[in-house]
Amino acid sequence: MTTDPNIPDPDGFYAALVAAHEGLTAAQSAELNARLVFLLANQVGSQGILLDCVAAARQPFGAPPGAG
Amino acid sequence: MPGQATWTGGYELPVFPFVPPPELAGGRARRYPIVIAGGGLAGLTLACDLANRGVESVLLDEDDTIGVRGASSRGIVYAQKTLEVFAHLGTYPRIREKGITWSEGKTLAGDDVVYAFNLQSASASEQPPFINLQQFYIEWFLVDRILALGHCDLRWKNRVARVTQADGCVTVAVETPAGAYALEAEWLVDATGVNSSIRQGFGLETHSSRIVDRWCITDVRFRERFPTERWTWVEAPFNENRAVWQHLMGDDVWRLDYQMAPDCDPEYVSRREVAEERLRAHLGDIEFELVWVGPYAYRDHLLDDFRLGRVFFIGDAAHVVSPFGARGGNSGIQDAYNLGWKLALAAKRAAPQALLDTYSAERQPAARQNLEVTSRTSRFLAPQSPAERCLRNAVLGLAREHAFARTLVNTGRMSIGNPYPDSPAVTGAGWSLPNVPIALPDGARSTLVALAQAVGTAFVGILVAPASGGDIAGFAQLEAAGLPFRFFVCGPGGIGDPEGKLKAVLKAESGSFALIRPDLYLAALVPNAAPAQAEACLRKALCL
Repeated sequence: MTTDPNIPDPDGFYAALVAAHEGLTAAQSAELNARLVFLLANQVGSQGILLDCVAAARQPFGAPPGAG
Repeated sequence: MPGQATWTGGYELPVFPFVPPPELAGGRARRYPIVIAGGGLAGLTLACDLANRGVESVLLDEDDTIGVRGASSRGIVYAQKTLEVFAHLGTYPRIREKGITWSEGKTLAGDDVVYAFNLQSASASEQPPFINLQQFYIEWFLVDRILALGHCDLRWKNRVARVTQADGCVTVAVETPAGAYALEAEWLVDATGVNSSIRQGFGLETHSSRIVDRWCITDVRFRERFPTERWTWVEAPFNENRAVWQHLMGDDVWRLDYQMAPDCDPEYVSRREVAEERLRAHLGDIEFELVWVGPYAYRDHLLDDFRLGRVFFIGDAAHVVSPFGARGGNSGIQDAYNLGWKLALAAKRAAPQALLDTYSAERQPAARQNLEVTSRTSRFLAPQSPAERCLRNAVLGLAREHAFARTLVNTGRMSIGNPYPDSPAVTGAGWSLPNVPIALPDGARSTLVALAQAVGTAFVGILVAPASGGDIAGFAQLEAAGLPFRFFVCGPGGIGDPEGKLKAVLKAESGSFALIRPDLYLAALVPNAAPAQAEACLRKALCL
């Protein structure tokens, strides 16, 4: 999993993401994010990296119940 | 005026006669080499496999028929490995004739087809990917085949009351309409199903869990013709956006399976008028005949070890999973096919008892894999939180547009011949070989299954003819070592590979030696092999 900077135009990407959520309800935003996750996951194409990313995303909330 | 609905309420099943066993006719208790308790899919497959290998067994069944009297057909989808097993046992032609061969399916959400598949194109086997048929027909054909083969003492209305084991034998207390008796077995196979009293009597931990997933099975016949395809709705508008399964089985009967609310009343949802209303919502105003309706709560369990001393557990007695992907009955049949040849060789004293340990070493991980696979399907079909539902909505939405997302739609990953992990008997192989076409030395067309049947309970060694040289005579001499082994060259003067499928499924190249077990799993693959390596593989695979 790469944690060094790798997004070519970070501000541009962030702005595009914010713009994509404009005018959506919370439920629609959640679905947009989920669609984005799956689309991006298919670009990554490495199971190890995907699972590392899932774990890193979960990190602030502690391990899921029943994990490990 | 609604179309007419009729109710037939079950199937006509055969009744097999109770014959008082010799133990009740004044004979003393004798010891049998192999006793099988339970005449369902797994028990009958094992009895038939042993009979086909010429090995004696006794089968005890508490009922005097197959299936569940007056009830559902239970399992309906039989997958390729199972069909290959039945090709070996001789019941496949009847199954093909009576059943519905299919390979195409559609997955739907709402009114849209999310994706469609055809599994035939990827298949190397002589058997199709699937045949649908009511379970009791599969069992019926097995009983007929066992009776034709002989070697099996089928005892109907013989209920196992108690099992104890000590001093190298198992004692089975049996109750019958003519009284109780006991018999001794060298090996007992428990195939008595999910509620096995034998397993319970030993107090074995099953790690069972109840899944909050309820379904209502509806077997129905109607005049309209629908495509012979498996249709699965992830979200069916006519079933409150819950899942629905639709496929055809024998006798023009359709299996319609409706996912129910987790808190539903099973008695209510399977009432005739409720079932009819559900059917009309699904199919519109048509004429139909209800054959059977029943509620079904999913559950699962898995034993840690499928062997306890001289008792083996096969089928639902050992493991239960949700029915997604047809991994229940099919895996019980595979259990039997894995254990059959091992028991046959042990009974003939042609292999050490250590070979019998490989049954649990191979089938327990297979069951664990099936449990993991079916649990994931179950979870996809019954999201347990708003976040989970959101993820699934995203997948279904993307699947309509993009091929990659269709791989995430999980309405069941269909049963396969599970690959086996490395063990003392098998290293770097352990995959199931499809029933590919071959040519015999005289040019006649044959198959891998027919070759296995022709050699009896023996390993088949195949040397892919080396480009030049090679100690072919040295390999052939292994047949004289007194081991259950037959040797073939694949190439000029030997067996042929007319479609190239044999070498493909063996992953074998010129000069490779492949060792095939009697259950058509690959035991070993040695590139550039010498006879000494082949013999070492054979001894290892036999646990010698």
